[in-house]
Amino acid sequence: MKNFKNGFIKENPVFCLYLGMCSTLALSTNLNNALGMGICVTVVLVLSNAIISLIRNITPDEIRIPVYIVVIATLVSVVELLVHAFIPSLFDALGAFLSLIVVNCIILGRAEAFAKKNPVLPSIIDGLGMGLGYTFAIVLISMIREFLSTAWVSLYNPFNMSQLIIRVGIPQLSKYTISLFSSSVGAFLTFACIAALFAFINNKSKEGKK
Amino acid sequence: MKLLTIALSAVLINNIVLAKFLGVCPFLGVSKNTKSALGMGVAVIFVIFSSSILTYAVQYFVLVPLHIEYMQLISFILIIAAFVQFVEMFMKKHLPGLYKTLGVYLPLITTNCAVLYVAQDNITKGYNFLETVVNSIATPLGFLLVIYLFSCVRERLDYAHTPKPFKGNPIGLVVAGLMALAFAGLAGII
Amino acid sequence: MIYAIILFVFLASIVAIGYYLNQRTPKPEGCKDLKENCEGCKIASCIHHPSYRKEEL
Repeated sequence: MKNFKNGFIKENPVFCLYLGMCSTLALSTNLNNALGMGICVTVVLVLSNAIISLIRNITPDEIRIPVYIVVIATLVSVVELLVHAFIPSLFDALGAFLSLIVVNCIILGRAEAFAKKNPVLPSIIDGLGMGLGYTFAIVLISMIREFLSTAWVSLYNPFNMSQLIIRVGIPQLSKYTISLFSSSVGAFLTFACIAALFAFINNKSKEGKK
Repeated sequence: MKLLTIALSAVLINNIVLAKFLGVCPFLGVSKNTKSALGMGVAVIFVIFSSSILTYAVQYFVLVPLHIEYMQLISFILIIAAFVQFVEMFMKKHLPGLYKTLGVYLPLITTNCAVLYVAQDNITKGYNFLETVVNSIATPLGFLLVIYLFSCVRERLDYAHTPKPFKGNPIGLVVAGLMALAFAGLAGII
Repeated sequence: MIYAIILFVFLASIVAIGYYLNQRTPKPEGCKDLKENCEGCKIASCIHHPSYRKEEL
């Protein structure tokens, strides 16, 4: 349970450890992409943590990194083919970043830091916590960026893009949108500000303990 | 003419770090001083160029004839990982001088998303061999340009009074954002 | 399908052999302590992170 909670604020993989920045920056343009990517990463992370933890005793130490790469690449291929078959709109939106989950440092990082020396169940929980922490981060950035650039935050049904699930916003602000935030500049600036906020909170809580 | 368009677009307009957000980790991690930024940039050019040629050959001489294109992702990542290992080994044995300047960056590149991206990008865009060569030189050249500029800014940044929470990576990301703004202005070239 | 499996096994073994041989190849003279620090992320257990080497010493 403690591992699970750590993944969100104190050890948030994105804002505190700076893992998986590339996909967080690129896919946070709108809520749909962000949520889809978050779920894909969480699934891969949980499965890869579970498998690596299962085979941790029979993996020779010298070649453990190639073994991890093979496991992760296989899992990502499976997820990619499944998404392509069942949610083609998400597949098109995520583009190259879906296959780039392979080189997402969160997954290799957690395998190396946690799954290789812990039993299966804690590894699964760690994967779930870190995956949800990643999802939380990417969804947070995407909501801020989508709101600032369109004054709306909307979620569509991924299986049928014309079907709107929920839409929240302030229509009075639609004249004053900042379109800069939908471009790459906005991604870097939003990320920097939130990361600074997290650093500020963590510094405060450290000082409090002293 | 098309080759020139590909090159300009890869270096300036669709810059791999600032527009595509790939390789952000080494961009922030290995840019403390200009020397290591240059070393990293040159090592990235070498690895991306050779591994793109290698994966291009595998795609069109192995995967397509055997109708197993769905193995693309797995084979590409394994080829890149193996390639980097063999290059590092070769450098250690036969080119110790080069290893001293570039070899230290090689382990950092294995899990760099830019390498896999360029290899896949050449295939998805349907480039022919010449276009692949141009694209796989120009894209990492853009990386070298941006990481060098960024490290120059960062050396000055050490003397600036940054608010405490922004110290380290956050201020680096702000600088990267401003650089992205400047590069966005170049979009009119093509 | 059979080709896919053959290719997979072939590539995986090449990577494993490459890793193994590379780890056994000694570094050339003067490069023993040469290592580039990477502070892109804050995983202290990463071999490229500066704090990893401090723990070793």
